[in-house]
Amino acid sequence: MEFKYFVIRRLLLIIPTFLGLVLLVFLIMRSFPTAQLVAAYINRKLAIPVSVQIQMAKAQLGLDYPVPVQYFYYIGALFRGDWGTMNLQNYYTGPVLQGIAYFFPNTIQLAIFATILSVLIALPLGTYIGSRPNSVSDQAGRIFSLTGYAMPAFWLGLLLQIGLGRGVISGNPVGVFPISFPYSVNLINFLNPPAWINTSLGISYPTHIMLFDALIHGDFPLAFSALMHLVLPVLTLTYGILAGLLRFIRAGMVDSSNQEYVKTARSKGVPEKVIIKRHIRKNGLIPTLTVVGLLFASLLGGVVLIEDVFNYKGLGLLALNSVLDSSIYGVAGTTLVFGLILMVTNLVVDILYALYDPRIRY
Amino acid sequence: MAEIQVTKQFQREVKRRPKVEDFKNTAKLFFKNKFAFAGFVITVIYFLLALLDEVYPSYLGVSSYSSLLSFQVSYSSVLPLPPTFDKGWWYYMGTTQLGSYKFALFPSVLGALKFDMGYSLIIVLAGAAIGVILGTFSATYGKYLDEVLMRVTDVFFSLPYLIIALAFIFILGRYLIYVVYALIIVWWPIYARLARGQSLYVKSTKFVEAAYAAGSSRIRTVFSHILPNVLSPVFIQLSLDIGSIVQIFAALDYLGVSVSPYIDELGNIISLGQTYLSVGVWWPIVLPGIFLLIFTVSVNMMGDGLRDVLDPRLRR
Amino acid sequence: MEELQEVKQKTVQEEPYLIVEDLVTRFFTSKGIVKALEKVSFSVRRGEVYGLVGESGCGKSVTATSIMDLIPDPPGRIMGGKVYIDGFNILNDLPKLARITIKSETNVIIKRNKRLQKRHNYIMSKIRGKKIAMIFQEPALALNPVLRIGEQITENIMLHNRVEIAESIIRRENLGEKDVVDFLSALEQYKGDPRKFINTWTRNNAVPELEEPILDLLRTDASFEFKKSELLALVNSQKHQTNLGLVSLMRDYYKDSDALLDLYLKLSEAEERGEDTTKLESQIKEYERAIRGSYSFLRLKMRFLKRRYDGIFKAEARKRAIELLNLVNIAEPARIVDSYPHELSGGMQQRSMIAMALASNPKMLIADEPTTALDVTTQAQILDLIRDLNKVIGMSVLFITHDLAVIAEMCTRVGVMYAGNLVEEGPVNEIFSKPLHPYTSGLLAAIPKVEAGTRDMKLESIQGSVPNLIKPPSGCRFHPRCKFKMDICSEQKPRLVEISKGHKVACFLYSSEVA
Repeated sequence: MEFKYFVIRRLLLIIPTFLGLVLLVFLIMRSFPTAQLVAAYINRKLAIPVSVQIQMAKAQLGLDYPVPVQYFYYIGALFRGDWGTMNLQNYYTGPVLQGIAYFFPNTIQLAIFATILSVLIALPLGTYIGSRPNSVSDQAGRIFSLTGYAMPAFWLGLLLQIGLGRGVISGNPVGVFPISFPYSVNLINFLNPPAWINTSLGISYPTHIMLFDALIHGDFPLAFSALMHLVLPVLTLTYGILAGLLRFIRAGMVDSSNQEYVKTARSKGVPEKVIIKRHIRKNGLIPTLTVVGLLFASLLGGVVLIEDVFNYKGLGLLALNSVLDSSIYGVAGTTLVFGLILMVTNLVVDILYALYDPRIRY
Repeated sequence: MAEIQVTKQFQREVKRRPKVEDFKNTAKLFFKNKFAFAGFVITVIYFLLALLDEVYPSYLGVSSYSSLLSFQVSYSSVLPLPPTFDKGWWYYMGTTQLGSYKFALFPSVLGALKFDMGYSLIIVLAGAAIGVILGTFSATYGKYLDEVLMRVTDVFFSLPYLIIALAFIFILGRYLIYVVYALIIVWWPIYARLARGQSLYVKSTKFVEAAYAAGSSRIRTVFSHILPNVLSPVFIQLSLDIGSIVQIFAALDYLGVSVSPYIDELGNIISLGQTYLSVGVWWPIVLPGIFLLIFTVSVNMMGDGLRDVLDPRLRR
Repeated sequence: MEELQEVKQKTVQEEPYLIVEDLVTRFFTSKGIVKALEKVSFSVRRGEVYGLVGESGCGKSVTATSIMDLIPDPPGRIMGGKVYIDGFNILNDLPKLARITIKSETNVIIKRNKRLQKRHNYIMSKIRGKKIAMIFQEPALALNPVLRIGEQITENIMLHNRVEIAESIIRRENLGEKDVVDFLSALEQYKGDPRKFINTWTRNNAVPELEEPILDLLRTDASFEFKKSELLALVNSQKHQTNLGLVSLMRDYYKDSDALLDLYLKLSEAEERGEDTTKLESQIKEYERAIRGSYSFLRLKMRFLKRRYDGIFKAEARKRAIELLNLVNIAEPARIVDSYPHELSGGMQQRSMIAMALASNPKMLIADEPTTALDVTTQAQILDLIRDLNKVIGMSVLFITHDLAVIAEMCTRVGVMYAGNLVEEGPVNEIFSKPLHPYTSGLLAAIPKVEAGTRDMKLESIQGSVPNLIKPPSGCRFHPRCKFKMDICSEQKPRLVEISKGHKVACFLYSSEVA
């Protein structure tokens, strides 16, 4: 089979899983009392009387029909963009889908920076350690992995805030990094804000990522501040992923270096450096690739924690606040989005893996 | 002659149930590893302390306790007190505050071990039990059940664990006990998949075929042949998971998902300290965290050591 | 037929290509020290096929691995002896490489000299693959699953044969008018897409940089009628000439590097023999100066444009890889060259391994049970191949197997190994008709016979089992299983002594010499 068909097949496989997730979310939502479901659609400011609004909402949700039909109503609503509304104090009020659109770029920004940073460090470091089993650097690497795996992410975040954070311990020479929020609020003139910042929501346009938007609009101090605010959260996330990656790369390299083909390569007279790079590492990374999907899943979990510690306005905080403020549609919506993100990532990882390992037949 | 002997020996090795001598050898190998040994010792100490909390709480200086409120103290300062050795052992770690309530850190942390470890053990064991049973039966009893299980676990694996936990806490209610339930729900698919995979592998081996040929019923085979071989990787996963679960449990409590903020649990204690971070009060965060860190690191070292010893691939 | 006989006579010369002298290899494990090889000595002459036979665990594979200096360290180490490959003793700096203190069977301290080890590895990497190559037992495992067959073969070529590759590129790039005419007539006859033809042509002639310009010409001249002169101008173009010049420069650089390496090896040998090295050293210094001077520009340019020039070399090496695959009787070599190992059958995998081993024209091949993992028909094909290579190219083969039938078919001389010792050696006919050592005769007697009258005969076997090499038997290691055991056998070890012409045996039945 050709590669194209493989990709299409994998894409199609996502659909049933996603529908399964939607089904689960839907069933759970419908187990809540109707009043709560309808309440999200009521807007007291409208001229239409509340009782009529309730009827309209019920019709929209298809509540008069049997449950299976309601499921299709729900799917229809999702595709139309009607994900309900949420009302989270101090955070966001409005349609769920829009809230997600506003905040998920920040989360993606964190995740991508952390992933890139950890991969950049893990590959050369892992190769170095993996080619020297039982050496001093290997022991150090193992200790690092151990602590990284065991470190509670939120605690590490707090620790970094204490150690490297600005304004925590007085007279701290390394206390440079700001400890909360995606950017420094004092750089924005709240009385006369620029057109591309929405000060009531704290969101920027067009990408909703302050770093890029500030760059686009030429406001370099703000962009720089956004960058600085990124440092601590990204470092916290990176530590965890790095520990996991390092561990797998090392194990993969050690496994691979005991294989017969390494002996064959040596018997051809291939110099050691080339053996490590071309023969050992290329094979050694394969088990790591199979785990990358899982690592990313735990990354997304960690993101929620980090966003809380650093008060970083992203999808994770949105999900958390939905739970704390009892917003059904908020919880449902964020769960679906997280699921979708993870499914897409797993698809990408699977495709990359199929490309990398020639033994995988599509 | 030699070859026939070898075959018999192989059969015996592959079929036997674990014996006491095996255990002694394994234990010796395990304790040779310095990390594993240290991890084991520290984990046992933590476990004993937690047990002490439950059985003999007066060592903490209170007659009985169920929440942080048992460890209230009073002093005049507005900010929490730093660690000091002058005021009695309760103040070794200093204090922390929530609103107008002031708590001594050291006994709180010691007392928290009961909650953290107790609930974590429950979560892991329950999750493992459910998962292993579902997984093994699904692998043995075949197609329809197996497909359903795979689809369900697929859905679970498509979500980050924290999101699932949050969602179920939202559904069930924001009480501590529901946090436990939610985490069990998060955790069982891992064991189900693990047990299923291992059962499938064991099912394809020759001696299970032989057992069927000798007339053993399916359920008897499951219990006497499949389960013992499945339990080995499950056990390894268990020992590693205890470390993770404690972390996640603490994280959820830190986030404040349960309604009461007076729970004597490490994550919760750490969250109380966050309010005073900006004025340089670091001990309510750092010290309980170190306690937690030492525990998780020890459990992981022990789990790693167990895995090195039990993993059949590494055996000569 | 007669010509082949003559060729065979001619190619088996007397001087050995490989000399193994008193080779001792040990493995340091947690259960004790495994005395895998105890003073093994033999030699393999140029052009002959020498068989090494013995049970599993007798040390034949360890011998082969030791000869190539591929013993994994930890846990193993060559402890002593000499191995001469084409006159050079690869173990001549062995004592300086590490200091080993043996406190007990389980307590051994090894202190390695990293710098010398690195230098040793460098020398070995120049010898392996080039002077001596090895093929392994399970080709599926011995081939790297993520690299194409062609890549694995060209890896070898790019390491050792850059001079030859450069020369064939130069030959090819000296395109003259005749070549252009040939190209044009071929293009005319070609009925398909001209672009594809050009692509194949430029690739096979290792002039990929001509592809773009020719295609450009195609675009401007829509009727596909080339002007000969334009093409000639292309061939004589500045860029083309630069590449040609650079490739010749590279060829000279590689030639000089190889010469320098040979000097280093000679220096090592001379040091070992304690000879006066001043003349060699001054020669070396001169070479080094010349290389640094004349080729500095080349080195600079190569570092920046390495990929591009590697590309030219690799294209040519690929051609050679296809030739090699053809040589080992693989059908459709151009397709196989781009395939991955798992796409091939066992026989093809083993042939690819052989092609890989032959890539740099080694004068000797070590075959470690190459057919054990294959079915009988494929086995026959592979053996035929190896035999042909030996006869036609004159390549020596050290053939390792436990299968006596294969030995009888392939080898001219045989060495029998038991428990880390070479116990008998001789011409293959003599070993089979007049085995001297009790172990050899036991092996031969154990072959089931299918002639008339043998139906009800008992299967003979050698009583006892292979000894533990951590605590080997005292004296002659075979004595616990030997029918002819004498008192001296458990006390002393017999020496390998020549009893009749070319026939050696280590047994007190024939000689009282002690090792």
